[in-house]
Amino acid sequence: MRRFPIIASLLVLVASACSPSAPPSPSTSASAPSAPSASQAPSGGGGGTLVVAIGSDPGHLNPAITTSGGTHTASELLYNGLVGLDDELAPIPELAESWEIQDDGVQYTFKLRDGVVWHDGTPFTSADVKFTFEEVLLKLHSRTRASVGPALAGIDTPDERTVVFRFKQPYAPLLQQLDVTEAPIIPKHLYEGSDPAENPVNQAPVGTGPFAFVSYAPDSEIRLKRNDAYWADGLPLLDEVVMRVIPEIGTQIVALEKGEVDWVWGVPGPDESRLDQDPDIELLRTDRNPGGSNCIMTMSFNLEKPILQDLRVRQAIAQAIDRQPFVDNILFGQGRVAEAPISSGIAWAHATGLAMPAFDSTAAAASLEEAGWVAGGDGTRTASGVEGVDDGTQLTLDFLHFPAFSRYGELLRTQLAAVGIDLTLEPLDPPVFAETVFTKRDFDTNIISYCNGPDPEIGVRRMFDSRQIGPVPFSNAAAYSDPAVDALFDEAQQTVDLTARGEIYRKIQETVVAAQPYVWMVETSGVRAYRSPCTGFQAYAQFAQAATCAP
Amino acid sequence: MTGRYLVRRLLQVPPAVIGILVIAFLLIHLAPGDPILALAGDNGDAAYYAEMQAKFGLDRSLPEQLGIFIANLLRFDLGLSYVQGRPAMAVVLERIPSTLLLTGSAVVFATVTGVALGVVAAAGAHGRRDLAINIGTLGLHATPSFWLGQLAILTLGLWVGWFPVSGMTDPRSSATGLALALDVGRHLLLPMLVLAATEIAVIARLTRSGILDELSRDYVRTARAKGLSEARVLSRHALRCALLPVVTVIGGRVGHLLAGAVLVEAVFGWPGVGRLLLSSVQARDIPIVLAVLLLIGSMVIIANVLTDLLYVRLDPRIRYT
Repeated sequence: MRRFPIIASLLVLVASACSPSAPPSPSTSASAPSAPSASQAPSGGGGGTLVVAIGSDPGHLNPAITTSGGTHTASELLYNGLVGLDDELAPIPELAESWEIQDDGVQYTFKLRDGVVWHDGTPFTSADVKFTFEEVLLKLHSRTRASVGPALAGIDTPDERTVVFRFKQPYAPLLQQLDVTEAPIIPKHLYEGSDPAENPVNQAPVGTGPFAFVSYAPDSEIRLKRNDAYWADGLPLLDEVVMRVIPEIGTQIVALEKGEVDWVWGVPGPDESRLDQDPDIELLRTDRNPGGSNCIMTMSFNLEKPILQDLRVRQAIAQAIDRQPFVDNILFGQGRVAEAPISSGIAWAHATGLAMPAFDSTAAAASLEEAGWVAGGDGTRTASGVEGVDDGTQLTLDFLHFPAFSRYGELLRTQLAAVGIDLTLEPLDPPVFAETVFTKRDFDTNIISYCNGPDPEIGVRRMFDSRQIGPVPFSNAAAYSDPAVDALFDEAQQTVDLTARGEIYRKIQETVVAAQPYVWMVETSGVRAYRSPCTGFQAYAQFAQAATCAP
Repeated sequence: MTGRYLVRRLLQVPPAVIGILVIAFLLIHLAPGDPILALAGDNGDAAYYAEMQAKFGLDRSLPEQLGIFIANLLRFDLGLSYVQGRPAMAVVLERIPSTLLLTGSAVVFATVTGVALGVVAAAGAHGRRDLAINIGTLGLHATPSFWLGQLAILTLGLWVGWFPVSGMTDPRSSATGLALALDVGRHLLLPMLVLAATEIAVIARLTRSGILDELSRDYVRTARAKGLSEARVLSRHALRCALLPVVTVIGGRVGHLLAGAVLVEAVFGWPGVGRLLLSSVQARDIPIVLAVLLLIGSMVIIANVLTDLLYVRLDPRIRYT
């Protein structure tokens, strides 16, 4: 006992806490990875391996049961929608090869592509589409459930190649809600009779997409291989896609520069110019992001607070904000000043030439004086005859934000201080933010990245519809309520003609700009980066479908 | 004697763990942040959120939820992860090996290096070597691990290019067996060094001061008077006694190490329990958070029991009754 060597005894302590040479990564494995074959026929393949950095572990790989950006980023290559969306957000054939809009949008009939098979070899049929919508999307995909669900009368499948969507009234936005992000189609034969949220197939998924599942090691990597039976001729080119989970964005960028990964989804503004000068790295700019597309950083006013019920105060705040510095100093150029409540990314609905308040701090100060907020000697303002507010109350507003948006808060605080408004910054974790703003409604102002999505029905309506005030996160934060606007949104939803629909959205934008329940600050864009020799990427969804990494 | 002590100590583990879990359960439920809002994403309808709450039992009162939780806990059932829809315990257990590999190797490395540095410093106390080691360890001690990690990634990873900076394996390699172990080792080195850095500092400083303390004692004078060489006096006598507090500290720092692993795993993309804890707290995935706390709590308690037992081995004067 006395001779027991000290170091060895310490090693015993360690060894007892450490299992002998732990296996590198636990993984659920469906099949062995296929060996990359560099000399495949021109019918596709031979594109080598693409290593993609993703920021978070998806948890599972079923995009039909969640709107989580993490899950969608990691899994969309495995699946298809009935349609895809092109760069202008127009629908293009995917699982559906053609479609017909009948009765002014009351009925949509889709002809499905022939010969499509699931990754396990089972043929894909209209029954899969009906099952996915009725049993999965309309129950568990929160966006599709909330928008398509109430409008839908039923889904019919007259034969294996035909799907008919019947609506209660004309429903215009359907085609923008059928891509792999809004409505990925999953296999009925593997999900029927189970709780789709707890089905083990979610960990070893089977889809129809360009790549098939190989293995998933949680928080480590997801391996996909080329789907040799993919319906698109000659695609995909890559033999293998490996998604690496790297939570730290700084580490992602270093891994890209070192060549450990080939693709990153988002380049931070400060790194952009350095990467731009690297001859081995290419950048791809886009308004679309895995978590949502066409996003506008938006400041909300809580219209239930007496101070903010005065339009003059809201307009004064909007005028006191100089928005260009947000683009320059916070986004480092990755975005632009917002010119309308609807993003310029939805070109047909985005209104131009609106009377958005221009930066004018003198006019802002004058409006505040007029509204009864009188500046004292030290520049701070106090109430004097403001309705619903005690005289002498100081003009102090809280400003709730995600910790990630703290720089917006700091710049806003500085700009508003110049006109005598004291902004108190309150950084809150996302779940706490959602609860405080939308359930408790305990705030004066906040900032939210409202993503418009591919259609205003998806991501714009929720901000203004009086039926969407309440406990639903990222809905109508301002509690803005105008029956005329509600009616216009209903009308737009039922107007299939795009020009006519665009006109209705123009009216809505004019009305809400005049009412100023929000300040639409900046449209944010994303920058992807990838390493040569990889090339041929799209910015979103099936981003690697036509890519190759072969020199 | 020791056997009975061990049984008694082990019997204390379950109530301690249940206590930890109940406190954690209450803390996470009383803290702001609704898991359903985190899980469900945006643009849902109110009925959807209500359904999800009912599904996970979050619509019940807190005492009711606590009762169900304890009843399930006694059946070793921590429930399904809200996010993954799989048993929480299974999700956590599959992360354990990589965290043990990281923290275990960090403990070994920190102990060996820390003790060695401490001995070297003590042997040449107040000399130049001692000063250099003192300054170095003080610096390491004061450096936050996430910053050290990023610095290591930039310097050793990017500029010098010796080490990979992310993950556990090379995504392009399909190595197995020894080649795979070597690949994992190469990926392990940088996060392990960063995680070990603070521990090295603590252990080195403690060893140094412990030895200096011991060297001034009577038995050391006796040993020297017997004519033992200085190296032998140091290694056989002073170091052996000086290591007692070091062992206690290492045992007690298992919790610290696991906390450090949260940051280091995030910086290096290491797929361990720490990262799972971080993302689960952010997503308010309560079953996973509680399962992680159960495991970490048990590990810390077991490490303490082991430390007590090791004490007996190191110091024959100690007997547990």
